[in-house]
Amino acid sequence: VRRLLVLFVLVLLCAPALAAQPLAPGERLEGRFVQERHLKGFAQPLRTEGRFDLVPERGLIWRTETPFATVTVISAAGILQLVEGKETSRIDAARAPFLARLYDLLGGTLGGDWRVLERDFSVSRSGTDERWSVTLLPRNTAEAVAQIGQMTATGGRFVETVEIRRPNGDRERLRFLEQRPVREPLAEEDERLFARLGR
Amino acid sequence: VRTAAILWLLVVATAAAYLGFRVVEGVQLRTDLLALLPQEDRDPAVQRAKERVAAAFGRRIIVLVGHEDRATARTAGARLAEWLGASPMVRSVTHALHADAVRDLGQALFPFRAGLLAASDRARLEAGRGAEIVQRALATVYGPAGIADARLLQADPFLLLPNFFAELPPPLGRVAPDEGVLSVPDGGRTWVFIAAQLEGDVFALDFQARFAGFFEGLEARIRAETSGLEVLRTGAVFYAERAASQANRETSRIGVASLAATATLILVVFRAALPLVHNILAMGIGILVAFAASLFLFGELHVGALLFGVSLIGIAVDYSLHYSCERFSRTPTPPRERLRHVLPSIALGALTTIVGYMTLFFAPFPGLHQVAAFSAFGVAASFLTVVLWLPLLDRGGSGPHGGRMLAAADRLWLLWEAPGHRRTRLLLGALLLLGATLGAVRFTVDDDIRRMQSLSTELKPQETEIQRLTGISSAGFFFLVRGATAEAALQAEEMLLPRLRRAQEEGALAQYQAVAHYIPSTARQQADRTLVEQRLLRPYRDRYYAQLGFTAEPAEAPAASGVLTLADFLRSRAGDAVRDLVLDETTHIVVLNGVVRPAAVQALATGIPGVALIDPTGDVTRLLGAYRGRAVLLLIASAALMLPLLAWRYGLGGSLRVLLPSTLALALAPLLLAAVGLPFTFFSAMALVLVLSMGIDYAIFCREGAVGRRSVTMLGVGLATATTLLSFGLLTLSSAFAVHAFGATMLVGIALSFMLAPLAGKKN
Repeated sequence: VRRLLVLFVLVLLCAPALAAQPLAPGERLEGRFVQERHLKGFAQPLRTEGRFDLVPERGLIWRTETPFATVTVISAAGILQLVEGKETSRIDAARAPFLARLYDLLGGTLGGDWRVLERDFSVSRSGTDERWSVTLLPRNTAEAVAQIGQMTATGGRFVETVEIRRPNGDRERLRFLEQRPVREPLAEEDERLFARLGR
Repeated sequence: VRTAAILWLLVVATAAAYLGFRVVEGVQLRTDLLALLPQEDRDPAVQRAKERVAAAFGRRIIVLVGHEDRATARTAGARLAEWLGASPMVRSVTHALHADAVRDLGQALFPFRAGLLAASDRARLEAGRGAEIVQRALATVYGPAGIADARLLQADPFLLLPNFFAELPPPLGRVAPDEGVLSVPDGGRTWVFIAAQLEGDVFALDFQARFAGFFEGLEARIRAETSGLEVLRTGAVFYAERAASQANRETSRIGVASLAATATLILVVFRAALPLVHNILAMGIGILVAFAASLFLFGELHVGALLFGVSLIGIAVDYSLHYSCERFSRTPTPPRERLRHVLPSIALGALTTIVGYMTLFFAPFPGLHQVAAFSAFGVAASFLTVVLWLPLLDRGGSGPHGGRMLAAADRLWLLWEAPGHRRTRLLLGALLLLGATLGAVRFTVDDDIRRMQSLSTELKPQETEIQRLTGISSAGFFFLVRGATAEAALQAEEMLLPRLRRAQEEGALAQYQAVAHYIPSTARQQADRTLVEQRLLRPYRDRYYAQLGFTAEPAEAPAASGVLTLADFLRSRAGDAVRDLVLDETTHIVVLNGVVRPAAVQALATGIPGVALIDPTGDVTRLLGAYRGRAVLLLIASAALMLPLLAWRYGLGGSLRVLLPSTLALALAPLLLAAVGLPFTFFSAMALVLVLSMGIDYAIFCREGAVGRRSVTMLGVGLATATTLLSFGLLTLSSAFAVHAFGATMLVGIALSFMLAPLAGKKN
């Protein structure tokens, strides 16, 4: 559960770019992702592809398409995972308050407030606004974020790659493609997903 | 006679010396209401469980510290927790859930994971839907959260243990750890949770006052340090302290008012200081002897018994009043002669009163025994003081204003006897009948213990808010689970848990906690292990590993003997997770939170041997109801006991006549109060016991008053009524419902007894 943090920090990483040229009010961000996990003990990396939809002040919908279809919905209310439309797991924010807190963090960073992130991580940035790279190192090795290990993100207008190195040698690489701000209202199906999660 | 007076002086001196000795030693005064009540449970295990739960809840305080800024709230919470923890009055503080505690739980359970299955997964496997678990595992491994690595997939291929953890009940309502600190997010505000167990006698007045003062200091300090900070608190100790200090304020306010009014009344009526001195002497000696004798008998005294007892002795003041009223006699008489006039009435009065108290001894309330003994000794001592000392101390005669006083007193006789007042009498009778009829229609009883105490208007909203935020309700229902062995108890819980879950889904209760959540019975662990082996690992594991491309060797299956037992778990460092739920290995409690429909919850235990719903508050309420009934029986018994005593002096017809006014007052008082909307409670019934013993006195005095001296007698009865109304009647003003009900019943009952008392007299 703690490593869900990974995802959130990842989402946060969208922020620097968004801060430079933020989404206009009422806009959301759509795109494709490719995730590769290199884990010890596996013959080949675990590779996942799919689509995501980041809706400011609502949450994130993460749709895996290959190797098989799953949907994960994350909002201030918690996390919900569905396989073939059936709920396979659910974590209420009431039982994991850091979700709500990270959600606040997200809000803060979208507003360009980096201090919240810098409390947990040492942040080093390089490059220009058009071509940048950020590295995050957990400050406190005792805290939950320490399990994430080191993270590096690169991007331009939006985040393009994220690489995570775990203390045990496992690593994970994420690429974001075809990202674009969208104005149309959410699809009815997506509205239902948020409603199903609550709040 | 002089010798008897000197002997009585010796007795009083001895009592004073004993009391002085005990006071120097330190007198134990108890304040817990429950100590006054009998322990009704025949089952010692139920009693022990209740005491254990009550003690745990009684010692607990809950504090929430809230701020819009999460960090500020956390800092303030940590400081407050640290200050609390540093006090010797605090045994332990729960504020942060240490990563250690989570890790300890993980370490204690991990070796036994093969037998630990979440209820939802068991249902899936039993229904042959193992594929869903495989799907979930795949989704998790591929999913964005990425908790799985080679080590975990080897030890727990389908990630069953994380799901077992996820389905453990949240330990503290909606409170959950946020980076280790127990918190509740609410809107834009972060509330940090602090619970503390107190160390010390939370039912002792001085501890309550010390702790409440200490906490208020801390709260002021933390508020001063942090602007915009909100602090909420709840706990039995705060309520007890508030109630005690409120009672103190009320008692002193009502007490001073009633003393001042009584003293003024006596001074105005007699226009001399001596009767007042007599009164104080009779009352003072009564209290002194009663206090000494009760301490000697019981070793300790309950504050309630002391207060109630002192007021009962107030009756004894009547005897000295009657004696003093003899001053107004139309033919001046020496003190000894005056005593001779009143002696029969006050002797009979004292005797019936003591008989009345003795009936309290039949009630199995430990506290009432104290009240009975205290009052009986006090009345006897006051009586002896009046009889033996007052004539010796008396000087002076009646003042010139006596005639007017007597004329005033005579009016009540006239009301009942003068033919000209016939219409008034009929009107009065009709009014009483009307009131009683209305009361009979509106009559209700109320035994709810929660309403008997006045809950502080400052603390109650805080408790409600804490309840809303955390979902933690104060002490209440729980299931007591008993088995022949630990295994049997766990199996009984496992029968109960699915029913509880259904009841929870239906909204009958908010939350529950059981040992079996953490430690399934051995039978269940073995069954689950087989279930997982046959329906999940065998059919799906190899294909699943192949699908993932997982090449590491599967871990050795844990040995079949690897069963988690309660005893081992309690010895482990994670044992604290269930410590409060285990009375002993074979006796567990299932804590229930936010019970909405008690009857539905009670029905859940049907058919499960050794499981019973315990409702401590409801039990006290039912107890009060039972004793309300018994107090009424007591009234009848005590009237029956008085009857032979009265018949011996007045004959059967006369004795019934003497009983008539009191009987009418007893019947009318609750009905008239019901007419104005006051329910009948145990405390009203106790007041009626007093109304009976006083009313009988009034009737006796009216009966005994010789024809030529009836005015003097009536003046005495009138004064006695006035002083009683000033002491008990004023209790009507109390904000504590129990005291209010008591006072109001006294007020109406005594007033009626006085008004009707002439009915007992001989016709002129």
